[in-house]
Amino acid sequence: MKKELFPKAVLKLLKENGIEEEDIFAASATDMNTNCLYADGFVVLTLKSLAIVMSAPDEKEIRSFKGYMSKDGQTGYENKDWSLKIYDLEKTEHLKAEPQVACSLLTADVDGVTYRLTAFSNLYKREMHKFVRTFDKISMELKASDRIEDKDKGNLSEKPELAEGQDNGKGTKNEPAETKEERLQKLKVYGKDEDDKDEYCPTCGMMYPDKSRKVCPRCMDRRSIFMRVLGYFKPYKMKIAGLFLCYILTAGLNLVWPYLNGTILYDKILAKNEDFLKQFGIEDGQFITALLMVVLTMLMARITIIVIGMIQGVFAAKIVTSVVRDMKKSIFGNMGKLSISFFRSRQTGSLMTRVMSDADRITGFFIDGLPNIFISGLTILVSLGFMFSIKWQMTLMVLVVIPFIMLIGLKLRPRIWTQFGHRHRAERAVNSQVNDNLTGARVVKAFGQEKRETTRFEKNNSRLREAEMSIVGTQNLVRGSYSGIFEILNISVWLIGVYLIMVTHEIELGIMITFVGYIGQLQGPINFFSRVFHWWSDSMNSAQRMFEIIDSVPEIREAENPIELENPMGKIELKNVSFGYEVNRPVLKELDLEIKAGSMLGIVGRSGAGKTTLVNLISRMYDPQEGEILIDGKNIKDLSFKSLRRNVAMVSQETYIFMGTVEENIAYANPAASHADVIRAAKLASAHEFIMRMPDGYDTRIGSSGRELSGGEKQRISIARAILSNPKILILDEATASVDTETERDIQRSISYLIKGRTTISIAHRLSTLKDADYLVVIDNGKITERGTHKELEELKGTYYKLMELQRKALALKGIE
Amino acid sequence: MPGFRGFGGGRPGGPGKPFGEEEFNLEQMEKETEEMLKMRFLDKKNAEFKATGGGFVSLKVGDEEYSRIQVVRMFPFTDPDHYISIRTSDENSKEIGIIKDLKDVPKETAELLVSQMNLRYFTPIITKIINIKDEYGYAYFDVVTDRGQCRFTINMGGSAVVHLSETRILISDVDENRFEIPDVMKLTPGERKKLDLFL
Repeated sequence: MKKELFPKAVLKLLKENGIEEEDIFAASATDMNTNCLYADGFVVLTLKSLAIVMSAPDEKEIRSFKGYMSKDGQTGYENKDWSLKIYDLEKTEHLKAEPQVACSLLTADVDGVTYRLTAFSNLYKREMHKFVRTFDKISMELKASDRIEDKDKGNLSEKPELAEGQDNGKGTKNEPAETKEERLQKLKVYGKDEDDKDEYCPTCGMMYPDKSRKVCPRCMDRRSIFMRVLGYFKPYKMKIAGLFLCYILTAGLNLVWPYLNGTILYDKILAKNEDFLKQFGIEDGQFITALLMVVLTMLMARITIIVIGMIQGVFAAKIVTSVVRDMKKSIFGNMGKLSISFFRSRQTGSLMTRVMSDADRITGFFIDGLPNIFISGLTILVSLGFMFSIKWQMTLMVLVVIPFIMLIGLKLRPRIWTQFGHRHRAERAVNSQVNDNLTGARVVKAFGQEKRETTRFEKNNSRLREAEMSIVGTQNLVRGSYSGIFEILNISVWLIGVYLIMVTHEIELGIMITFVGYIGQLQGPINFFSRVFHWWSDSMNSAQRMFEIIDSVPEIREAENPIELENPMGKIELKNVSFGYEVNRPVLKELDLEIKAGSMLGIVGRSGAGKTTLVNLISRMYDPQEGEILIDGKNIKDLSFKSLRRNVAMVSQETYIFMGTVEENIAYANPAASHADVIRAAKLASAHEFIMRMPDGYDTRIGSSGRELSGGEKQRISIARAILSNPKILILDEATASVDTETERDIQRSISYLIKGRTTISIAHRLSTLKDADYLVVIDNGKITERGTHKELEELKGTYYKLMELQRKALALKGIE
Repeated sequence: MPGFRGFGGGRPGGPGKPFGEEEFNLEQMEKETEEMLKMRFLDKKNAEFKATGGGFVSLKVGDEEYSRIQVVRMFPFTDPDHYISIRTSDENSKEIGIIKDLKDVPKETAELLVSQMNLRYFTPIITKIINIKDEYGYAYFDVVTDRGQCRFTINMGGSAVVHLSETRILISDVDENRFEIPDVMKLTPGERKKLDLFL
């Protein structure tokens, strides 16, 4: 934890009890006491003691978790009633953060009894984990150096637990010996600032809900999202200008229409206004000609509107499709860049909805909605202007009504928002289930559960229908009220108009028609404004979801100046590697391993022991939390992705066949490969024969839309794929798990050919697969428990021996030797 | 509790002739299978639970003694008082036995075990919703729980809100801290409206 956050009151209490601040080696905050009641607390580690400072639980206090937690931590520390417990470090062992279902307990053995020291919520999981690690290192160092000093006070250069010849990378015999004090000081973490400054939003100072996405949802306003979306339209500036021109022309012509249709037609022509004719240079009395001209003008105006509408459609289509394409491209592109951990944590169904429909929704608003805001606004203003110039008394009536309409919009807007949210969720549920059932179709059928699945689907589907219905319902309510108000408005305007025409003779019929025409012109834009807010928020929500993916920073990033690996030897070293998918649950613990260039390493262990995780780290699907992995002495974090992927190929237990032909699948990593290369790779992987039995040979379409392959066939294709990529380092993770014994023997043969000149790591349950391995390790519980050659491990009579025996017996049972 | 018979094949006494050097012992395999399938039920007659000085629970069952055990529910949501697995406390914890019903053990023992489970299944119960704000893929909750007022954030994209039943909701924040609403219908209509997005 940060030094600055340590409250003075706590420091004072510690000082009173003999712990000075400079003695502190590590510290972490906590938020629960031993009984899981919320309280503030700190755990503090010095070289002599482990101290727990807790405040009394106070239910009146507000607990802030991630997203609410501010940079300055919890407040009010100074006035609390702190209690302190100090444990002697010499008597304290096995400090552990034991994960519970949704919190953790900090436990330790003191004088041989396990104690609950404190509890903490997941907010402090990371910090506490670090604390426990430091405790482990320090107590190990204390004990180790004690032992050395007892045994041999002169020689401090090597730690006793390291076997001869094994270099742990921390120091060699030639370097001057570090003193115990120096080594301990290196382990001090308190006051050495960590990388957590990135975890808080610079604007509001709150912790980001998601560290990998450095966007603060509170501080990101809809406007900035809007501007970002606009960015996608920038390349199409000219087309957009054209589109706008069309909109303006249409709006202009629409505005002229009531004037032509009303005032000119009725009051000038049909009312036989001679002066009017003179203005246009038409002879007196030629009203038929004038009428023809007006009708012609009106016709032309209509035709022009239609033509412009068509041009506008073309422009819009061009822009929409391009922008949607660009958006989908950037979503898909970023999804590809994201690390495996991103896909572990999100439902695939929801990802699909995002890519597929969000881009459409966003663009729809920007093309149809956004320009209309200007056009409709303009139409309303100009119409009102005309109306005012015709008869301001009647216009006032209209002005009285508009606020009512706006009020309805404001009132109903939030309801529609929620309903859109419902719809989105329902849509996702339906999509997920379809996805689920398509992938699991075989299981559904095998257990005869079609009916139940249909019922389940029906439930989700009806939920979607209901969500859709409620949206339509609210929208109808809005539309209905609008139309109602407009009808009332129309009728009252007519009534007043008739009065003005018949009784007071203030206006003529044509003017009346023009006026009503303008009211009609208003209806569309005002209706539009009632919709546009929902539309806008819907599309902004979509945009936000889209940017969530685009903004996600991949956890695994390429180094800034990556090293290219040219003709590597293929030596792999793992130094003190620890890793867990979740902070508190390490899968691999301080692993040290060296794989000589060109050798084959076999990894054996129970399922869940961490074998696959280990190879995932070597191919950099994940980065280790501690320690480093070197290829030819270079940290894989510094290597370029390209050279890493080119030199490390993996055949894993999860085989994946892409849509395409057999050849395309085999040549996936190396599309330029010749036919001969592909055939050679297939032959080596014992795939050639079954490929040739398929009707279209290497051109057979496989994958989700093509011919279905068996598990063993898929596996052989992926082995061929790895062979063709010709890597220096080959990882076989249960590569032959789903093939029959005979095929396995064939593949074995090709593998023994394949591993020549390569570094190979092979994971297998069937030990017979590993008979070529130069070196074997047994992994149990994230640690290497046995290592050595075949013979050595057999003589050791440990886990490996036991496994050998078991498998021999199992084979005996089957009658195979 | 008898184990299921027949996994090792119907012939008693094992296969007649040995394969190779090693004779395969079917009887032993059957025994192992039986061992594996066995459910040992613990009750007041055969098990003795005691609180330890460090705040955990120890167990004596027959001549086995465990200085610390773990208490784990098999059906934490649907049947919290039945089928409770008593396990060893190490990392690869193994089942020692099962308590079929908490009533099978003395009341004090049941209380002791429940207090252990309360630590394990720590989940504040939301009693009042002050505010929920939905912002860009996250929802910010401000609620009152039985443990005091809590403010937390959930991810809208994932499965942060799980419906345990029609009215029972489990909410996990971005760190997977859990909060529970046992009965949505007990909230006020106004509170339910705030929660509407997740119902």
